[in-house]
Amino acid sequence: MTIREMKKQDPKILLNDAYNKVVEYQKKLNASITIIEPEANASDGLLSNIPVAVKDNFSTEGIKTTAASNILDNYVPIFDATVVKKLKEAGTVIVSKASMDELAMGGSNLTANIGPCHNPYDLKRISGGSSGGSAVLVASGAVPLAIGSDTGDSVRKPAAFCGVVGVKPTYGRISRYGVIPYASSLDHVGYFTTNIEDAALALSVLAGRDDLDMTSSYAEVKNYHEDLNGDIKGKKILVFDNVVNAIEDQTIIAQFNQLVAGLAAKGALVKHVSFDNDLMRAIFGTYFIIANAEATANHSNLDGIRFGHRVDGNTMEEVMINTRTRGFSSFIKKRFVVGSYSLFEENQERLLRKAHKVRRLIVEAVMAELKDADALIAPASGIIAPKIASEEKIDELTDAYLIAENHMIIGNFGGLPSMTQPMGFKDGMPLGVNITCNPFREQTMFDIGLAIEDLTGLKGLVKEDF
Amino acid sequence: MDKNDIKEYANHLMFDLNDEELSAIEKDFAVLEAQLGLLDLIDTTNTEEMIYPFEDDTFFLREDNADHIISKEDALRNAPKEREGHFVVPKVVK
Repeated sequence: MTIREMKKQDPKILLNDAYNKVVEYQKKLNASITIIEPEANASDGLLSNIPVAVKDNFSTEGIKTTAASNILDNYVPIFDATVVKKLKEAGTVIVSKASMDELAMGGSNLTANIGPCHNPYDLKRISGGSSGGSAVLVASGAVPLAIGSDTGDSVRKPAAFCGVVGVKPTYGRISRYGVIPYASSLDHVGYFTTNIEDAALALSVLAGRDDLDMTSSYAEVKNYHEDLNGDIKGKKILVFDNVVNAIEDQTIIAQFNQLVAGLAAKGALVKHVSFDNDLMRAIFGTYFIIANAEATANHSNLDGIRFGHRVDGNTMEEVMINTRTRGFSSFIKKRFVVGSYSLFEENQERLLRKAHKVRRLIVEAVMAELKDADALIAPASGIIAPKIASEEKIDELTDAYLIAENHMIIGNFGGLPSMTQPMGFKDGMPLGVNITCNPFREQTMFDIGLAIEDLTGLKGLVKEDF
Repeated sequence: MDKNDIKEYANHLMFDLNDEELSAIEKDFAVLEAQLGLLDLIDTTNTEEMIYPFEDDTFFLREDNADHIISKEDALRNAPKEREGHFVVPKVVK
């Protein structure tokens, strides 16, 4: 059911139904950090009385905001993030602060301080992360819209694993004011829905310049939902061959090829492109250096002095060290160590500056092709959601990992609008397809998404029996 | 890189690592170094750094007017220790 159809229902029933599902599903999915009893919203905006979930790194006035970290698990913001303000003005009602990887660092949701979030298609499998709770609450049909953040595919990968639409718009399209950051040059606000119409509607509500986020864009905000058009005749679509070639699972390749053939049959002009494989293999290392170097600075305020959990000591320095040592998980500390390593003076040229240069070369290579086309398309992942207690670990030096599992980071490097939506199934688990477009061409992205939705028949996909 | 280096990187960011964490990071760094080595295969001669996705100007220097003022009560609302309107920390001068 689309949000447009939901709005015809009795708001009280709609909100109570969503709240009850969030509460009931918590035992099996562990998708929420804080559950909020709904109160009707008097606004008659575009999302009037629509229940939503918000990732727990978005500041919510008077509601605990922990970013799934022990260091913040008593933090109650005194203000709303701009996205939260916009959601309220549009009439939504927040029923869940959703689980996530600690401080949004991770791709599994296994690092949340409340424990793993479970995939509704198979409770033994991960949701993906870092916006896993948001993905799962939409995939399970609890809410039709959930907000996430995406620094290196943290909306688009869990969307693929959970069978929902995951949107990361252009850098600066949605304000980040009030979002607990990971890496400022890569962070984007994104969101999840069950269909393209809702995805377009959500951007119409959330997009826009905000002087409180000086990286937000002045570009005109359109009525994406009103202008949706699934006619893709003449649209130029590039097939990302490096990704296809790096995927070992032939079931995924076959379904992807069938989808591309369907797009061609609808009149799209399909062209295969391949970029320098050395550049593609460097995506992950480039990302890991930049993201974690920026994270060390962004999280220097987590010291237990003004907010958050304090662990006492005899001096200010001891308080900070004790607080941070106990407050961060081992996983987060590893990422901080990488950031610190790349920022040491003797490593800056070799690592951080090098990463910034490689970032430019990757973006320039992709844009050289994309600027004359409408979209770049690829399977979102080469695997289904892994098992939570998986003993099989993917070799992180193979193309299957470096390229197939990390290609969506290009959207963060270049700030490009990028979206994942359901493509099909393997062994009962959802598969996702990713499309990436030119900056501020979200309308094109949604139009192509609508055509894909028509081909797959997976509009409004939810998994309620788990 | 050895455990002493790793400890130094951590201490530089004001946290400590136990032996188990040190060993795990040391082990993971072997793979990470190989991944970072892939960047060395890219010729970046005459390439400028890319810090942000776009270079168009979205910043401006606002007028120096007080804006978004919060009350002292709100500022201290999340303070772990607070007394008489101040954040409480260990004595610096003893």
